[in-house]
Formats: sequence, structure tokens, C-alpha cells
Amino acid sequence: MRKIKKQKIYLLALLLPFIMFVIGFEIGPLVAMIKNSFYADDGIQVAIDQYITIFKSEFYLQAIQNSLVISLFSAVTSVIIAVIAAYSITKFSQKIQNRLLMIANMTSNFEGIPLSFSFIILLGNNGLFTLLFSKIGGDVFADFNLYSWTGLILVYIYFQIPLAIMLIYPSYQGIKKQWKEASSLLGGSTLSFWLHIGIPVLLPSIVGTFSILFANSMGAYATAYALVGSNYNLLSLQIASLVASDVALKPQLGSAMGVLLAATMIGAMWFNERMMRRIRRDLR
Amino acid sequence: MSYVTINQVTKGYENQVVLNDISLTLKKGEFATLLGQSGCGKSTLLRSIAGLEGVDVGRILIDGHDITNLSPRQREVGMVFQSYALFPNMTVFDNIAYGLKMKKVKNVKSKVKNMIDMVDLIGKEESFPHQLSGGQQQRVALARALVMEPKVLLLDEPLSALDAKIRKSLQKELKRIQKELDITTIFVTHDQEEAMTMSDRIFVMNKGKVVQSGSPSEIYTSPVNTFVAKFIGNYNVCNMEVFHKLVRSTELKGNEVAIRPEVLQLVSVGEDSLDIQENWGIKGFIKDVSMTGNVLRYEVETEESAFLVDYLHHRGEMFEQGARVQILVPKKECIIL
Repeated sequence: MRKIKKQKIYLLALLLPFIMFVIGFEIGPLVAMIKNSFYADDGIQVAIDQYITIFKSEFYLQAIQNSLVISLFSAVTSVIIAVIAAYSITKFSQKIQNRLLMIANMTSNFEGIPLSFSFIILLGNNGLFTLLFSKIGGDVFADFNLYSWTGLILVYIYFQIPLAIMLIYPSYQGIKKQWKEASSLLGGSTLSFWLHIGIPVLLPSIVGTFSILFANSMGAYATAYALVGSNYNLLSLQIASLVASDVALKPQLGSAMGVLLAATMIGAMWFNERMMRRIRRDLR
Repeated sequence: MSYVTINQVTKGYENQVVLNDISLTLKKGEFATLLGQSGCGKSTLLRSIAGLEGVDVGRILIDGHDITNLSPRQREVGMVFQSYALFPNMTVFDNIAYGLKMKKVKNVKSKVKNMIDMVDLIGKEESFPHQLSGGQQQRVALARALVMEPKVLLLDEPLSALDAKIRKSLQKELKRIQKELDITTIFVTHDQEEAMTMSDRIFVMNKGKVVQSGSPSEIYTSPVNTFVAKFIGNYNVCNMEVFHKLVRSTELKGNEVAIRPEVLQLVSVGEDSLDIQENWGIKGFIKDVSMTGNVLRYEVETEESAFLVDYLHHRGEMFEQGARVQILVPKKECIIL
């Protein structure tokens, strides 16, 4: 009995650096952010002014809306692409599967400023492909502008797909071949198998992946910053300019927007979870 | 009139032959078993009938229709897998109703209800597979296949994953349902006892071929070769030259002789009850005694080879290990292979 207790203490002691890290760099800032958001601009008076400011300002509401739209759009698109791509990966030999996963793993870590610059070099106004195609004559990128809404979405989707593949791929291992066989013997087509069994079985991982992608793009800052700077109105860019800008430093307002950002993510996760439980009644 | 016909079916993977020119026929309502060790091709044959695997050569007919090239969903066969293969996201009711819904059949509710009644799962309609025991899950799988009223029911080692007691009771139930619906059934197993209890006819398979077919008692009492003799009934198989030496007689001709362990009798040496008209005697000693409940199994070492002798376990009648004995071999029970 005493031995077990002693062991537990050692284990807890080993966890201590991690716990301190979490408290210092995650819980601490979170509490500070929530607290800050309830102060007026002077940082002394307790008030809900910041929230009122946000909800009265069309500009900030638009930032929230833009962030929501780009996150939803890129997350949905990436999940759909990843569900199909991960399935195709499972059809290769184990050796090729491992290699494809390695590539997905590598590219899923490729985001932020390096990614933006890569896109600028390839598809920017003077990008390699842009110039190449206009020289060849087939001006495919004539109407394409990397520094626009479309460009931003393209880059977002690009960095979301590999992550989505990495997250969804393992759940395909859980789909048993015999379910397909049973379904076909009972008169089901391939489509009806996926509709009634395959997708519902994958659903928890699809929903989980969606939540992560959504949060990932809601919080994405460096990629957008490097690509569109302050030309585009996104929540993460606004928060950054409020807490780190040289012109108008308003950390309290920034905190309030941060709280709203966190609330949206939690809301999205909660909604996803609810939807999933409606469909997968066996998981209740 | 045969209902299921397998005509010269051959199938191979790369350079290995899995099914080697197999032909067999089944009558309507017959309960047939494909029996053999793992890797003998029995499951492949079953899966070929289901359409889950193609065949290289040969034809498969059900009820006069050539189904060789039809897809599984067009074949009107039902199948139960060893691993149940129930759809985990559906209730018992929805699992059973799946096929009916796919085929847009009417009266789904009442048909499913009848099936649930038949497999004795009333009250479990709204349960999910993970809430059921293995035996219950297999009943659902059976109901799911039967509700489609298939022409042939295929069972791929359906009881192998269950524990002994549930297995025995499901064997009986499966047989009852099969008789009740008079459905032609092909059952795959590696368990000879299970095959004996359940089947009207057994096809013993080895290395991609059917080596013997017949009723359980035919297969048991007259095996055609050493493989069947050893696989089916723990036969004592003895080389003929060795046998001649042991019984000091060359009366029997052939390559090998097979004798069932339960037809042999043991008498103490010196106790002279040998009827030389009917029996041969082989001298030896008891090397080992083992007991499987109601059966006592003696391993008797003779000068040339060991014999198994089975006795029903009566109180007080037991030979000790090491005792010198004489084995009585009834002449008419010797099967020449």
C-alpha cells in the first residue's frame, strides 16, 4: 500500500514541470484574458464596455463573421477532401501507405509564414507559376489573385488537408471488410453501405476532425498576416493589432475578442458533439 | 433433383491452388457441412458461392440458375460470419431490417418481428450490438440473413467464437430453425464433432479437394483414406506390414488398416478369452490413461506401434498404468485403406 503511494508521488513529481507549464502558459493567460475583458479601457474600472463595443461595431462583427465563414468553409472542404483522400490511401500497399502518411505528416506541419511565402513565390503576382503560365500563353491565373478572399481560402484549405488526412486515416482501420460483404449480400450497393454504415461509423472521427480544423483556422494568424496583412478583416488579425499594434493598443478589447473567439470554438465543438450523438445513437 | 450444384470449380491465388476441381450437389432443404482443417479451402468455397470471391474455372448453380458471374446482391444467398459482422451503429431491429429496406420490401416491421421471435430475442429490438453477448449477436446475424428468405444459407464457422455451452445450445437451435424453414444450408467448420451433430451430409475437404462425402455415420464408419480416418474419429491407422507382424497373420491385404478406438477391447494377459475366429490379439502395456468425462482413453504401447483404446467410463473397471494387457481387435471392424 505504502509502496504504491510512494510510486504515485514520484509520478506526480515527474508531471510537475508539465503542470506548471500548463498553468503558466495556458490557464494563467486564459484567466488573465477573461479578467481583462471585463475591464474598461483604463484597466481599472470593471465593466462590460468591451463587449458592447464589439457588438455595436460593424467592423468587429464583420471580422467575426469573416473568420467564421473562412473557418467553416475551409474546414468543411478539407474534411470532405480528406475523407476521400484517406480512403484512397487505405487502398494502397502498406509500404506506399506509410510513405503517403509521412508526406501528410510533414505537410501538416507546414503552415504560418513559410507557407504563405511559398504560395507568394509560386502563385503571387510575380509568382513562378503565374509568370510561367502567362509566358506559355495559357493564362490560367489571369483572374486569380492570391491576396484575395479566394487566395486566402486556398491557402487555408492547403494547410488543413494534410492534418485532416492524418486525423481521419486511422478510423478507416475500424471499418471491417465483413460489414461491406454483409451489406452487399443483403442487397446493399456500395453507396448504401457508405451511407448507412461506413460514414456513420466514421462520423465521430469526422466530427472531431472538423472541430480541430475549425479551431485551427479560427486561430490561424501568421498565415493570414503574411498573406494579406491588415488588408483583410479577420478576428485573429484584429486581436493581434489590438494587443500588439503601435497605433491603438487596447488589450482589454483584444481580450474580449479573444474570449469571443474561444466561445465560438467551444460552441462549435458542443454543436458537433450534439449532432453526432443524434445520428450515432449507439454512442450515447 | 439437385438444388445447389457446384460444377468443377477451380480457384487459385498466384501459384497456389485453393480449390481444385470441386464438384458437389445438394438437395433442397439439406444441411451440408464443409469440414476440414484451416487452409483446406472450405471457407473459400463458401465465399465463392456467396459471390465474395470469384472462381477461375467451373460453374455454380442454385435452383437451376447459373449464378457464377452474378454479384453477391443478386444471388439470393444469406451468410453468417464467424465474427458476426453486425452493423455497430444500428439497433438489433435496424440490423435485421437493413436487407429488407435495401430491397424495398413491404411489411418490414412484421417480418422483422417474426424473425426476432424466431431467434428468441424479444425485448432486445432496441439494443445495439455492443450491448449483446456473443451468442445473442450471432442470433441477430442469423435473423438478418434469414429475414431475406434466401435460397441458400451459408454459415462460415458461425459458432467458433462462442464458448462451449452456448455453442451447444446454438447448435440445437440452428438445426431447429433450419428444419422449421426447410432452408438449404451450407455450414463450414473445422470441428468434426459439430459437423457430426448438425449435418445431413458432410463433405470432408483437404488441400482444395473434397476427399469424401456422405452422411455423418458413413463418414465415421467407413473413411476412405488415412486423412479422413485420422481427422474424423481418432482412428488407429496402422501400416499393413506392421499389422501383419503384430497379429501374426497375413489375412488382410492393402496398404493400411484403420480401427476405431471404441471397438477395441482390453483383457489382462493370461485371462484367456480370445476368440480367434472373430478377433486378433495384440500384446502390449498401458502407457497412459486419460479421461474425457465419460470416456476413458488408454494408450497401449505394443512392440511396433501405439494404439488408442476407448472405454466408456464405468466405475471400478480400470487398468492401471503399466499393466500388461492384450488388445482384442475384432476382425470385422478393421477397415482397409
